[in-house]
Amino acid sequence: MGLSALINWFMGITNIFKKKKTIRLGLYGAPNAGKTSLANKISMDWLGEPVGKVSRVPHETRTIQQKENVRVKANGFELSMNLIDMPGIATKVDYREFMKYGITLEEAQKRSKEATKGIIEAIKWLENVDAALVVMDATEDPYTQVNITLIGNLEARNIPVILVANKIDLAKAKPERIREAYPQYPVVEISALTGENMDELYNEITSRLR
Amino acid sequence: MIEIEFLSAAVLSQKEGKQKIDFLVASLKKGKILVLEEPLTHSEETKLIEATMKSVSEKFPGIEIGTLGRNDKNHLREQIIRMLGGKPSGFTVIGPSKLVRQMKRDPETLSLFAGDGQKR
Repeated sequence: MGLSALINWFMGITNIFKKKKTIRLGLYGAPNAGKTSLANKISMDWLGEPVGKVSRVPHETRTIQQKENVRVKANGFELSMNLIDMPGIATKVDYREFMKYGITLEEAQKRSKEATKGIIEAIKWLENVDAALVVMDATEDPYTQVNITLIGNLEARNIPVILVANKIDLAKAKPERIREAYPQYPVVEISALTGENMDELYNEITSRLR
Repeated sequence: MIEIEFLSAAVLSQKEGKQKIDFLVASLKKGKILVLEEPLTHSEETKLIEATMKSVSEKFPGIEIGTLGRNDKNHLREQIIRMLGGKPSGFTVIGPSKLVRQMKRDPETLSLFAGDGQKR
């Protein structure tokens, strides 16, 4: 064994015992599940600045947005993370859907093209995250193929997952459907908009993902 | 007229990785609804979504996909069955979203709403 190989071997051994200091936490989910609202809430709580713009028009987040070194403290633990807000994953992107929100044809086509690129980017990032929050709109059916595929992929890569049942401030919300659909995963019911139950989410993040 | 193509496990087993995904996307772009005797893996599903996004156009805005009966809670068992050349449980249905307006599933049933009319 050469000297450099010996050094690499030694570094590898010490890295096993060295605790990872910062994790890359990806926020995944379908468009309009509230990923950016949640990323903003987390970032505002711990850094005092937002991550991105929120809109009722689907695919508002079309590129990956990051906030580095977000330090979450809860449960007597502290966790440093890079918060990565992913574009929403969908199986179809039709520019005509955007025009229903009053967007011009040209702008809708541009948005559609950017949205497809964003989805590809978010999928590629599955290889690079250390943990994931899969955000679901609690007013919608959670048993969609996008959610199933996302969770299945994360599990196959042994990436820890917390399911976030968002929008519980809405009367139509039925977070129990998410628990029923994915009984093997921890589910935290929150409202990123009102901040309800965020403490519970921080407890889960610091205890499960550290 | 709606064309539904049933693909046996044998047909797709002859195609590897990208070739398999490209074959599926090409068939979907022709307007076919595909029923796969052997379900796609989660990894194949994401590759299919990725390939679909690269192909999105005015005529082909995307797909609807649903897999039913796959053992999502025991990946190891499914992997071993595949390694031994067996057919894992379940099936996958995929259709172009211009034709398949919606797929709805509860754990045991998959409903497909197709047609040129409005979404139900």
